Amino acid sequence: MVQINTEARELAIKIVYYGPALSGKTTNLQALYQKISPEVRGRLMTLDTKDDRTLFFDMMPVFFKTEAGVKVKLRLYTVPGQVIHESTRRIVLQGTDAVIFVADSRRSEAAATFAYWNNMLKNLEANGLDYRTLPIVIQLNKRDLPDARSEDELADLRKVIRPTMVPAVAVRGEGVAETLWAMLSLTYRSLDRTMRLGERWKMSEREFLDRVFAHVDLKGTLLQGEGTPK
Amino acid sequence: MSPAPSFLQQRLPLADLLDLSSFSEVCQSFAELYRVGLKVFDESGNKLVDVKVGNADFCGYIWSKAAGREQCVATVGLVKSAPVDEVPKPTAFQCFSGCRYVVQPVLHEGDAIGRVVFGPFVPDDLKELPASLTGIAADFDTTRASAYLQKIRRVPQETAERILKHFLDLLDVLVFTGHKSVIAARLHIEAVQESYGELQEKNRLLEEGFQKLKELDRLKSNFIATMSHELRTPLTSVIGYSEMMLEGLGGTLSEEQREYLGIIMEKGESLLHLITSILDVSKIEAGRVRLVLGDVDVGQLLRDAAATVLPAARKKKLQVTCEPGTLPRLHADREKLRQCLINLASNAVKFTGAGGAVTMAAEVLPGERLALKISDTGIGIPPEHHSRIFDVFFQVDGSTTREYGGSGLGLAIVKSFVEAHGGEVKVASTPGQGSTFSMILPIRPGPEPEATPSLPLHLVDQA
Repeated sequence: MVQINTEARELAIKIVYYGPALSGKTTNLQALYQKISPEVRGRLMTLDTKDDRTLFFDMMPVFFKTEAGVKVKLRLYTVPGQVIHESTRRIVLQGTDAVIFVADSRRSEAAATFAYWNNMLKNLEANGLDYRTLPIVIQLNKRDLPDARSEDELADLRKVIRPTMVPAVAVRGEGVAETLWAMLSLTYRSLDRTMRLGERWKMSEREFLDRVFAHVDLKGTLLQGEGTPK
Repeated sequence: MSPAPSFLQQRLPLADLLDLSSFSEVCQSFAELYRVGLKVFDESGNKLVDVKVGNADFCGYIWSKAAGREQCVATVGLVKSAPVDEVPKPTAFQCFSGCRYVVQPVLHEGDAIGRVVFGPFVPDDLKELPASLTGIAADFDTTRASAYLQKIRRVPQETAERILKHFLDLLDVLVFTGHKSVIAARLHIEAVQESYGELQEKNRLLEEGFQKLKELDRLKSNFIATMSHELRTPLTSVIGYSEMMLEGLGGTLSEEQREYLGIIMEKGESLLHLITSILDVSKIEAGRVRLVLGDVDVGQLLRDAAATVLPAARKKKLQVTCEPGTLPRLHADREKLRQCLINLASNAVKFTGAGGAVTMAAEVLPGERLALKISDTGIGIPPEHHSRIFDVFFQVDGSTTREYGGSGLGLAIVKSFVEAHGGEVKVASTPGQGSTFSMILPIRPGPEPEATPSLPLHLVDQA
């Protein structure tokens, strides 16, 4: 649930990277930390208590102010992938505005990925979130590995799955910015529907994206100068 | 209704992110190192740290003049709360005294959560005290004020800004670390609460299941008790009338009729015995058995039991020996002990092959105890089953094609009854060579019966 502080003209938006263990959620955040300039992002916080494995997640804030003086704070979280962290996952997922599901696109991981997808739907429901209206982007990570699904298979998958799918190789930083771009675009539209961002907060989708992507190193991405796809 | 937002979404005040006392010490040593005062305010203008270096005499002198006081308050108010841009850059504030402050907001995740005020310092371009200061009072002592001013560090504004930036870099790390600790601690608490909630729910379900099982168990015991009773009544008539016919009360019988009636009676008796056992078990389970204590002649009891199993033993050509010797009288429930002895003796006969032997004996043990022993030369019991043979319905050979019949209740009843007397049952057995069951009983049990007999069955609520 987006947090609105009308008086301070502030929006706090929560975006969660969800997915199985070792699918590349933290790698995504680390890549973004490198690509986004410090003017619009804070430090990458990694909580990893070695002796108590209930606490484990990453968080990175991204923030900007619009022309109309609205302060927008995006908080990017990852959830712990290991099965034992179920309760932390549920807490981190609480009140999220959007979800990026990081999937391992190897065929051998298909079953585990599907199980996690269902686990996410369950936890979304437990938090009173509706997956049919929540902005969700699926990142198909590890496209460079030999066992990865082929482009044809992905095309078939696209026909049956509603969420946007973005291919990526997060360890090389590929597809990471594209995933965030797709996510922010969806998030803007979702918030515009519910809160009339454009009308009431005088913030266009273009501006929403530009404020972040003007500070993102877009070298080697499929995005152009101002963050629109080529 | 969605749940209340997690603390992860909440904005934390600066004071919550720092350990204020140790932070103050850091500020103190920092300010002393650079010989310039330092103040830290939170978002709402609350002063968290205030270190004064060198300016006490100078400012104190100005403060002693009414107009100086007034302007001083105004300047302090300005550096504390005049708006500054939310960017990581310093803003300079000029004091009417000629001194200067540099101020920079503390930024965290894009929010200004406080500000740092560095100063006052004397800018290196200040040649002499400005008129704005010397004019505050007619009796203003310029020489004295100039002397005091010497104690305040003279530094170029650019240097002051660099020092301030350095301090803010340090503060940034402190705030980040503090934020991380706060999140770790709170998340830990929330995670524990979540887990606690889950456990509570599981406990509730288990408790519900347990209550249901207890209720079912009680119903089952009641049912068996009632049914056993209902079965016994007509069976008594079957046996009774058979007996009357055998005695010739219904007229003369042919040899064949006598034989058939004999079989009816024998089978009737064994059925009655089985039903009685079931009734006993159900009574024990329902906690409805009470011991009726009295003086018992154990020797007589042993001889009775031997006599009871003698016909069956003769059929199998077993040798039955009963040598109780002289024994003290036992304070116990005669009927229950008799039943125990018959159960054990019947088992001994049942599980011993033709030509074997069954021995019944008794022995006084130290500690005012008496052991009643029934030994056989039968098939024996494998050691792995020793712990379970006293369980209700347990049988070493539980298959439908087993060689030896029985309900699996006899030993369970023996154990319950003996334990109710405060005693114990022991078994020693070697497969193929035979078994010895010992009932060890206190000669004088406590003034009260030890306990209501209970069964070694886990579902029975013994409370």
